[in-house]
Amino acid sequence: MQYSPGRKRPGMQRRRALAPAVALAATALGLAACGSSGGGAPVAASAKQTIVFAESGLGTEGQATQTAINAFEKANPNIKVKIDVLSSDSTTYLSQLENSFTAGSPTPDVFESDVTYPAKFAQAGWVLNLNKLHPDMGQYFPTEVAAGTFNGAPYAVPWFDNPEGLYYRTDLIKTPPASPAQVVSDAQAAMKADPSLKEGLAFEGDKYEGAITAFLTIDSAFGGKLDPQNVNTPGNLAALSWLHDAIYKNHIAPTAVTGWQEGQVEQEYVSGHAAFAINYPFVESLATSAPVKGNTGYIPFPAGPGGTPGSALGGEMLAINAKTAHSAAAWKLIQYLTSPQAEVTRAEVTGDPPSLPSAYTPALYAKAPYFKNVKVLNSFSQPRPVNPNYLTVSNDLQVMLSEVFANTKSPAAAISSEAAQIKSDASAAAG
Amino acid sequence: MADQLSTRRILPRGHRPAAGRRAATDRRLGYALVAPAVIVLLAITAYPIVANVWNSFHFDNLSFGALPHRFVGVDNYGKMFSSAQWLAALERTLGFTVVTIVVDIAAALGLAVMLNRKFVGRGVVRASILVPWAVPTVVSALLWKTMFDPRAGFVDYFLGGIHPAWSSLTWLNASVWRSWAVIFIADSWKNIPFVAIILLAGLQVIPTEVYEAARIDGATGWRAFRRVTLPLLKPALVVALIFRTLQALLVFDVVFIMTGGGPGTSTETLSFFNFFTFIDSTDFGYGGAISVVLVLLALIVAGGYVRLFRTDQT
Repeated sequence: MQYSPGRKRPGMQRRRALAPAVALAATALGLAACGSSGGGAPVAASAKQTIVFAESGLGTEGQATQTAINAFEKANPNIKVKIDVLSSDSTTYLSQLENSFTAGSPTPDVFESDVTYPAKFAQAGWVLNLNKLHPDMGQYFPTEVAAGTFNGAPYAVPWFDNPEGLYYRTDLIKTPPASPAQVVSDAQAAMKADPSLKEGLAFEGDKYEGAITAFLTIDSAFGGKLDPQNVNTPGNLAALSWLHDAIYKNHIAPTAVTGWQEGQVEQEYVSGHAAFAINYPFVESLATSAPVKGNTGYIPFPAGPGGTPGSALGGEMLAINAKTAHSAAAWKLIQYLTSPQAEVTRAEVTGDPPSLPSAYTPALYAKAPYFKNVKVLNSFSQPRPVNPNYLTVSNDLQVMLSEVFANTKSPAAAISSEAAQIKSDASAAAG
Repeated sequence: MADQLSTRRILPRGHRPAAGRRAATDRRLGYALVAPAVIVLLAITAYPIVANVWNSFHFDNLSFGALPHRFVGVDNYGKMFSSAQWLAALERTLGFTVVTIVVDIAAALGLAVMLNRKFVGRGVVRASILVPWAVPTVVSALLWKTMFDPRAGFVDYFLGGIHPAWSSLTWLNASVWRSWAVIFIADSWKNIPFVAIILLAGLQVIPTEVYEAARIDGATGWRAFRRVTLPLLKPALVVALIFRTLQALLVFDVVFIMTGGGPGTSTETLSFFNFFTFIDSTDFGYGGAISVVLVLLALIVAGGYVRLFRTDQT
């Protein structure tokens, strides 16, 4: 039967009458899908349940997490874990978590957190105070525990610990430098001896978070401390001046560092272009070809007078959503993922350094000897300021470092102009 | 008289009520069918705008989640207008806008005039100049960043002879002027073709008879361009100006990718400052005030252009 506009088809009248209802239902369903369900009453760990675990791991790290989750589910058949892989970009990852928390969502029940997030999450009341679960925080490296502690209470458990330190070419520098001045002289000597070197020192100088950890890696060697209440100290100024001079006075680092993040620094070192490099432990596992293969040392930045060997804390932690009804199961998962066996397995596969000193065993060293160096670095690592407003403080620090690395301000001028802003932003967290 | 007859009068009387009912039913059906789309659009555009204006009069900062969301009047606006960082970002944004408009319009005009002439391969050239515009800004900014990389990029390779061997010429974040230069290049590379296409469309609607008449009157070359082409191209120029001005005022992605606002804060624009306040600092009150003023600024500029255009038409 052919349809003509003037003729009603059978059922059309009814469809027209239903149309508004269908439209409203579709809209309501669409809006409902954007909402979230409540957390409900606490669910015992022994109950059958599914929990959501948010993490950012891709590739090998993602596979290692999946393997660990499979083993956890096998050991705990009543708990299913749904892995929610969020963005690998840290800013987007943080936004995704914040969106869930501000919406009051009970999921993710448990999540991966950068070491700089717990204070903000705790201040906002988004994460569970772990004291309720009686954690044994003494078993982890204390610096990372401190990063997850806010107002004296633990809010996140160290998962893996990434201490940033100093790489050097053992074929060019026969004995590890014993002071910052020796780093300069060794770098200059290496550049003179080996024309294939493009720089003596590579470090993260781009305007981003990594510039702060690069600075922090050398800061304590000069007696500095990144206390946002008082950044303008002689130690911090000396550390900042050393990095500035590395580019503009001693010429061991190129101006190109102003565009380098850890990836470029890794490339410079692994390609044999740099005698020294400030970077994270992952570079050791990539030094697999000449000229760096078998010629790589990884140490804390050597201390100067009045300083201590330097290393900056990086790493990831695990925390529990304050709104979840599955905190018991989530805690079981955290305990499993941070057990020595799970951490060693992960370290062997991904190179993520364990957060437990007890996981650094001869068996681990046999498979990856460089973890011996990582353990040493972990004992010196310094955390970034533990502050709910850290991301704003971080921006202030990035501005200061960027100005110095670009030589648009002297170290003294940059540190004195930013110190007040850093203090103000850090203090604002108190309300 | 016939045109005064309403259509209702010429319809048979008996059909009117049924037709009216059908029209009303059709109207209701139409509303019902567009309702979901309208509601979704209101939810994702109108609601955020209203919520943002509302937030701009409140303290609302996720970094201080435990503190109450409270009314603070115009404090956020006061903080913004007295902020040296905001004022500096405004100054940079306006400077960037003026320079980029002048350069882009001049270059695009030359390109459009060239493309309006007949030459072999004109179609291919016209199509290919749109490629930069079709590339997402994030991608093009990353490409330019790589090209200006002193180690991996070709720019430094060609400039290799003019700087010392121990150091490369570093473009981004090592010098304020070089950072801005690269931002301008990346931004103009993407946007000049777009402006050129708008102007080309304007050139193509200018009748050839006008040029013939001008030639008879002795106007050729530069004089014909100034007296004939430019005045008749004004509508297209205004459209291009509005687009480019708003894009330049709201410039963000190219800065975010290439310099992150550095060195220091020297390439921070208003949108970048707004992004930082909103996303990094999660200060929705202050960030809301900045974005409200940014939108008002864009509206004022757009309104100014439209007014200019209307005046020209009357």
